[in-house]
Amino acid sequence: MLFLMSRNPEEPVYNRIEDARLALGLSRQELADKVGVHYQTIGYLEREEYSPSLVLALRIAKSLNQEVSELFSQTPFKKGK
Amino acid sequence: MSKKNKIYWFEGVTEKGVKSLLTDENSKYRWLRSQKNRRILVVLMALGTAFVAAGSYWPTLKINLNLSDGTALVIYSVIAIFAIFAVLLGYLFLRISVRGIADAPDELLDERQIKVRDTSFRYAYYAMGYLIAGLLILMLSGPDLKLFQLEGNDGSYVIIAVLFAFSSMPSMVLAWRERDI
Repeated sequence: MLFLMSRNPEEPVYNRIEDARLALGLSRQELADKVGVHYQTIGYLEREEYSPSLVLALRIAKSLNQEVSELFSQTPFKKGK
Repeated sequence: MSKKNKIYWFEGVTEKGVKSLLTDENSKYRWLRSQKNRRILVVLMALGTAFVAAGSYWPTLKINLNLSDGTALVIYSVIAIFAIFAVLLGYLFLRISVRGIADAPDELLDERQIKVRDTSFRYAYYAMGYLIAGLLILMLSGPDLKLFQLEGNDGSYVIIAVLFAFSSMPSMVLAWRERDI
């Protein structure tokens, strides 16, 4: 039965967290400590396997000195932008 | 002065215990956290729990192996202690492998962890429902298992196994489903 468990296909939320984090020279753990989540959650966010709540998105944007609209999008970001 | 360690009685965990599992303080348990090893642990737990549940039928060994009463009693006792201890150990390892997320209160988890914990409880509820329904069907329409007799086979091992399954099911679901813990 464990094999039959479905996953909810969420509408993807694309983000540039990894680029912004690396630009500031932060590790996943450091960013996680800043926003108050587990470092694995940062990994899930960066791989776009988890869509954050609005509160978390705002906290991440603030920690990375960015606007939410610069970090998150419903359409894929163009590379290098 | 050290900060007081809050005890969450309902969840059966302590603040320090959960926080210690959520960090990578104990790197000696890191090997447990790969998805492959977690899934192996889930399978072993399921097999161990099924073995404990079958404990009510161990006395048939006495007839099959033509053992004396004393020898049989020693053998049952050793098997029972070993099996229950092994499943208990498996349960502890399972909790460590999923960082105690299944048993942690909201205030110690982040929003993603709360979401995966809640999802694991939903599936654990289904799994326990199927398990109990299966047991009931087996008792009612299966072969004559002679469970829950007043003498001899009193079904106590089945009850112990169901309690183990009940306690560990959310962690088992979490261990099976999540890629990274």
